[in-house]
Amino acid sequence: MIRLEDLSVTYPGGVEALRGIDLTIDDGEFVVVVGLSGAGKSTLLRVLNGLVPATSGSVIVEGTQVVGASPATLRQIRSGIGMIFQTFNLVNRTTVLNNVLMGRLSVVPAWRSTLGLWPAKDREAAMVALERVGIVEKAYVRASNLSGGQQQRVGIARALAQEPGLMLADEPVTALDPVTSRHVMGDLQRINRELGITTVVNLHFLDLAREYGRRLVGLRDGEVVFDGDIGDVNDETFRDIYGRSITAEDMLAMGDNPASPPVDSEGV
Amino acid sequence: MTATTQRPTPPRGARERRGALAVVLVVAMVWSLSGLEVTLDRLLGAPGDAWAILRQMVPPAFARVYERGAVGKVFESVYIAWIGTVIGAVLSLPLAFMAAHNVAPVWIRVPIRQFFNAIRAVPELILAVILIPITGLGPWAGTLAIGIHSIGTLGKWATESIESIDSGPIEAVESTGGRWVSSMRWAVFPQVMSTISSYWLFRFEINVRASAVLGMIGAGGVGSELVSHLVFRDFPAASAVLVFTIAVVLTIDTASAAVRRRIIRGGVGRPDEPSRSGEALADLTGIRL
Amino acid sequence: MTHAAGGSVRPDRPPRRPRTLGIAAAVIAFSLFAAREVGFDPSTFWEVWSNPLWEKFWPIPWDWVTDGSNVMGPLIETFQIATISTILGCSLALPVSFAMSSLTTPNRPTYLVSRAVMNVVRAVPDLFWAKLMVTAVGIGAFAGSWALTIFSLAVMVKLFSETVDGADPGPLEAARAAGGRHTPSVRTGMLPTVFPDYVAHALYVFELNIRASIVLGLVGAGGIGRVIEAQRQFFRFDRILGMLVIIFVVVFVIEQASVALRKRLV
Repeated sequence: MIRLEDLSVTYPGGVEALRGIDLTIDDGEFVVVVGLSGAGKSTLLRVLNGLVPATSGSVIVEGTQVVGASPATLRQIRSGIGMIFQTFNLVNRTTVLNNVLMGRLSVVPAWRSTLGLWPAKDREAAMVALERVGIVEKAYVRASNLSGGQQQRVGIARALAQEPGLMLADEPVTALDPVTSRHVMGDLQRINRELGITTVVNLHFLDLAREYGRRLVGLRDGEVVFDGDIGDVNDETFRDIYGRSITAEDMLAMGDNPASPPVDSEGV
Repeated sequence: MTATTQRPTPPRGARERRGALAVVLVVAMVWSLSGLEVTLDRLLGAPGDAWAILRQMVPPAFARVYERGAVGKVFESVYIAWIGTVIGAVLSLPLAFMAAHNVAPVWIRVPIRQFFNAIRAVPELILAVILIPITGLGPWAGTLAIGIHSIGTLGKWATESIESIDSGPIEAVESTGGRWVSSMRWAVFPQVMSTISSYWLFRFEINVRASAVLGMIGAGGVGSELVSHLVFRDFPAASAVLVFTIAVVLTIDTASAAVRRRIIRGGVGRPDEPSRSGEALADLTGIRL
Repeated sequence: MTHAAGGSVRPDRPPRRPRTLGIAAAVIAFSLFAAREVGFDPSTFWEVWSNPLWEKFWPIPWDWVTDGSNVMGPLIETFQIATISTILGCSLALPVSFAMSSLTTPNRPTYLVSRAVMNVVRAVPDLFWAKLMVTAVGIGAFAGSWALTIFSLAVMVKLFSETVDGADPGPLEAARAAGGRHTPSVRTGMLPTVFPDYVAHALYVFELNIRASIVLGLVGAGGIGRVIEAQRQFFRFDRILGMLVIIFVVVFVIEQASVALRKRLV
């Protein structure tokens, strides 16, 4: 369980990214966070694993206080939290498998991982993670030789390799084309359902949010302005969150049928 | 065209600046020449003197010099340069990770950067002058001098290439709970290694010339050969040594440049990836020391 | 897994390519051989600290060092060598660089010959030139100036001809299209574009020359190196250390000024 209480983040320079957030997320939830860029979505995700330090308030993840935690505690907390990035954050010049193995860094002794002597069971965990996202055949290919969608799935596999209880996805599909976006969102949804991993996703495409989310959190100017079931959401809600009317740019707007079987648009 | 548009007069600034530059250059020349014991007949005599020596240098006495082992001395210079580069590479690599502002805290990177700057400021020859009484005459003194000096330049270049990486993977490693060492090994190292190893090769090219020079003060290699032939005014022998040296230097330059191109080209991820800082690239392609 | 089927079979770990292993083995073998040849001796790294010679480095005899005729005089001579060599070398480099660039070369033979000659000139280490000049025209700063002039020329043509190679050929084409002869076309169509780079490179060469001129005296080509060489014969390392301190302060100041000037130009 995640519990945020009166959480505020002010960046050096005075920008108030988050203001007095109170939020509770139960185990196994699939939460979509929406808001304009600059509303604090990214910051919200990064205070959960301590990549951005909170200025005041409290963040409790799985019973551990994140705010003010020691570096060792922070590493401990992070090892249980997978994170997926908008720009994938893969190391392009090394293999897919090496990228996924990074998810095992917190459990492998530093000297072994530094020398590349990964234990067999950690290799196995990385392979299993790659199998879950369906690109295990690319394990020994350089990450730079993959398409965008495949790279993001490597990013998901890296997070899965941590065997996390919580998955954070920071605008995971912004850099992808519509078909691949649905594919990646489908992966996240499936992982949430099959493995019961609590998932928090930042999105700025509202139709995707509606399609894949179960609970929706709306942020505006660093404050929670909506928190509720996706079924209760209508265009009015989005207008409130965005503080303006909704345009075509806020939609992924693919006229295709969501019921059609997922197709790998990369065709590699 | 209406007649109201007047032709402008040329702006003054440019011409005045050009004039000032000329004055500065002339003053600098006069000042420099005043200290160099330049007399007219020396100046007029110099081309003749040089020509006289040049004439005696042809044909080079290849066979005689070869029998004396000059080729072996050229290779000794190459070995000195190679081992010096290896020493510099091995010692500078870990230091560079502690000197880059995006991965190292300020209390460690400032002293290490100053350390790089300090050794870069001491020429190899001066280092060799200091080292020779400690190690004795011979190639080991030259190797150490080149190795130490290389730590400074290689460290600086490696630091720059670390500073120009994509920081995303570092964030990714941090988000998995990895340690600093892990993020250096798995997020930074793969990104910079091809650039840094091509710097090593480039430094090796420079070091071959440096080690040839070091022999002139007794720190091993081909320099001593050249000096002794010139001292005894054995110009055919001196020119043979020069030709051997030039041949080896040019061969190494060409081969090393080809390998460097392969490393850099084979190492890129996406072609639009902004990976290397301009300064470092200039270091790589130009003669920048 | 719904869509994990369809080609998602675990691949075998690709074997390390024999060529990679071969190269690695060759590099290591060469390094070991070279290390033996140069008398690699790691004990130096710790024994160096207990060397009795270190006592000779300290204390620095400041009154000897600061006596004008001992250090400052030769140091000024050093900078005079660097200055005149930079001016002469870079002036010569201007036409040679244009000849060496495929954009501005007057004709193919000039291009090939100038490139070949300059490659050979650059392959000769700087102090070899100094020693040759000392032999030709006698010991002293005069020889050093010649040597550094050649060195400046070699470095400058490399840097500047690459700048010309990368410059916009449009204006030059326009000048030629207007019927201009070769030299005036280059003068009006190319020189203005690349002149700021030329000055910046010249300042950079000046910085290199300042450093290079310090060691010229070790082979008899004048400047402060002559004093270092003399004191080294007498094992006066305390004086050498004192000189080095002075040299580095002065060199640092000059370099910073030159770097600042270069930054303003580009």
